[in-house]
Amino acid sequence: MNFLHMTENNFSLKKIEISVSEAEKRTGRNAMNMQETYTAYLIETRSVEHSDGQSVLTDSLWRRYSEFELLRNYLLVYYPHIVVPPLPEKRAEFVWHKLSADNMDPDFVERRRIGLENFLLRVASHPILCRDKIFYLFLTQEGNWKETVNETGFQLKADSRLKALNATFRVKNPDKRFIELKHYSDELQSVISHLLRVRARVADRLYGVYKVHGNYGRVFSEWSAIEKEMGDGLQSAGHHMDVYAASIDDILEDEEHYADQLKEYLFYAEALRAVCRKHELTQYDLETAAQDLAAKKQQCEELATGTVRTFSLKGMTTKLFGQETPEQREARIKMLEEQIKEGEQQLKSKNLEGREFVKNAWADIERFKEQKNHDLKEALISYAVMQISMCKKGIQVWTNAKECFSKM
Amino acid sequence: MSGGPPKALPSTGPQSLRDMPHPLAGSSSEEAVGGDSTPSPDLLTARSFGDKDLILPNGGTPAGTASPASSSSLLNRLQLDDDMDGETRDLFVTVDDPKKHVCTMETYITYRITTKSTRVEFDLPEYSVRRRYQDFDWLRNKLEESQPTHLIPPLPEKFVVKGVVDRFSEEFVETRRKALDKFLKRITDHPVLSFNEHFNVFLTAKDLNAHKKQGMALLTRVGESVKHVAGGYKLRNRPLEFAAIGEYLDTFALKLGTIDRIAQRIIKEEIEYLVELREYGPVYSTWSALEAELAEPLEGVSACIGNCSTALEELTDDMTEDFLPVLREYILYSDSMKSVLKKRDQVQAEYEAKLEAVALRKEERPKVPADVEKCQDRMECFNADLKADMERWQNNKRQDFRQLLMGMADKNIQYYEKCLLAWESIIPLLQEKQEAK
Repeated sequence: MNFLHMTENNFSLKKIEISVSEAEKRTGRNAMNMQETYTAYLIETRSVEHSDGQSVLTDSLWRRYSEFELLRNYLLVYYPHIVVPPLPEKRAEFVWHKLSADNMDPDFVERRRIGLENFLLRVASHPILCRDKIFYLFLTQEGNWKETVNETGFQLKADSRLKALNATFRVKNPDKRFIELKHYSDELQSVISHLLRVRARVADRLYGVYKVHGNYGRVFSEWSAIEKEMGDGLQSAGHHMDVYAASIDDILEDEEHYADQLKEYLFYAEALRAVCRKHELTQYDLETAAQDLAAKKQQCEELATGTVRTFSLKGMTTKLFGQETPEQREARIKMLEEQIKEGEQQLKSKNLEGREFVKNAWADIERFKEQKNHDLKEALISYAVMQISMCKKGIQVWTNAKECFSKM
Repeated sequence: MSGGPPKALPSTGPQSLRDMPHPLAGSSSEEAVGGDSTPSPDLLTARSFGDKDLILPNGGTPAGTASPASSSSLLNRLQLDDDMDGETRDLFVTVDDPKKHVCTMETYITYRITTKSTRVEFDLPEYSVRRRYQDFDWLRNKLEESQPTHLIPPLPEKFVVKGVVDRFSEEFVETRRKALDKFLKRITDHPVLSFNEHFNVFLTAKDLNAHKKQGMALLTRVGESVKHVAGGYKLRNRPLEFAAIGEYLDTFALKLGTIDRIAQRIIKEEIEYLVELREYGPVYSTWSALEAELAEPLEGVSACIGNCSTALEELTDDMTEDFLPVLREYILYSDSMKSVLKKRDQVQAEYEAKLEAVALRKEERPKVPADVEKCQDRMECFNADLKADMERWQNNKRQDFRQLLMGMADKNIQYYEKCLLAWESIIPLLQEKQEAK
């Protein structure tokens, strides 16, 4: 997935390559004017010429993690029907003891660099997201980009958590598919978390097994010193034990890539849930509007016919303080009729919006499902290949050791 | 080791612990035992040599006797034959068929001892008796008493902590059986010990307890005299070679101890790894239940991890049962050898003291008094026996450790091969394209 398409200004499509090629430690001052250390990442964009396939460096700028976050938050607000690709984790989680949980650790930084590159590639290869202007500017406009994003006012457009929570509880008739999807994403998140936790423990234990074998190297060497015929065989076998013990470092480093692939989909589950939440909000909004409209219609009818079927404060006060005049009543009816007209319009458009949302969201969800199945299958295959390689190495080492023992 | 797939060599040994009437009542050596012998299930060595020819069927061994045909013991015998300069073997002993006996006072295990020999010291060509650990202990004590100038092989540990180890579990009994078999074979291979009267009684007597009570007093000449060596003499000059042996044994025991600790630690880590694997595999299964297209691949991975877990369990069981006991045996061996060396020192010390006493008396008699001569004789016999035994011990040790360590390498190779097979077989499943639903 090297060649991606992007629009610069909705007029031309370019083939481009994106890479996050470097990471650098920087110091600066944060919002509270305190000195801080952070890592900056170099993003390089290359334009690919059609004719010869050669790529030319067109843009290169440095971004830090918080800017990636800003970009993603913007995308979440402006594309609520899209399953927005997740960022790599902010802090190292699911670590096993040898890896440090320190954000400045070079291995962590390296894996994060890869994760950020992956994020950009995912966005750039998405049929809709790749056309976004802010995304384009993220890749091309180093200075002022933050201001540009903030100027869109996207933070204001964001749905409040409280509003979303309220909608989740009170929505009456959400699309069944979204209920299932939400359930699925909850389960997926739970099972992948569990998997990652246990995998970290497994890695920890495996590390221990391999490293203890290293002790054989030393003791065989010491033992060989007092032996005559057995000495050489023991000594060389000990060397193989050292090799065995050392081999686990690379093996587990490779496995971290597998864990990162799983983590991406762990975080994708959250993105799925975000889409479901948006649907619930839209649906709740629609239901509320329909309810309000129905209430107004009823009110209107009551006023017109004079029957009071439902309790209303106006009705009460009217009883207490006297009837209103027919003119007042007429005025009220007129107002209500206007409101009803407006309400009907709004309901129509909200209905349309709701249906559009469902249609578009579901299209992207289907796209996402395909991607997920493909990616996870690939991940499992590469995991199996890693295990096979580990087994072969093990057989090799022990066969070598066995040969040394046979010469004892 | 426990109820796995059918193995290469059949064994009646640990498969059945049936209760039986009193061991010494029923079995008789007159029963034809030939052709019924069971090979000791030393499967791993069989596989390490990978040569079917080594596993000879009954009747294929020299002297036309049906003998235990495990490839390892066969190979041992073949190699020892070289040591004996082509001497034909005329004594074969096997320990097998453990059985549990439940009596009012106690419960214990007996083992069948099968002996085949053409030696004149044996009245019959074949014997089959049943013995319990106590009897082996008696034998070893008697050998130590009667052959103090020789190195007596060790027995597996006498005491086991009750509650921690199940004395009647198949694994424990099998491990012990192997060690007892090794014990008797080492004595069998020894040119002096194998002719010991007590050994003969052990192998042949129907009622060993009666013999024990008689308190046989058939000690060799040297044994008798060494028994009465007074202690407390200070040794002046330990000959270099015995000093070297002493130092060697010290370091050797130390290194073995370290290896034992490392091996135990590895097993412990492997078991903890296994515990995690057993939780890890099923999570893929849980995930598989959530998915459609990914269901089969995930389930496949889960099964694969399950297979690896089983293979790992087999590895740890094997190492616990086959590797650790042999290490411990050799540590015990070096301990008992150290005490024999000490005895030798004492004999030499006594001789030196007596010699010095004579010199101090400044007698003009040209001849050395008889008792000093006896001391010298004693010392020189001891030195000769010990040297010969040390050489034999070194050779055996070399073979035993070669076999042991190759076995360890083998077990690990097999473990990885099983895992490799599991993962390779799942690749096609993972790569399968989903059929259009």
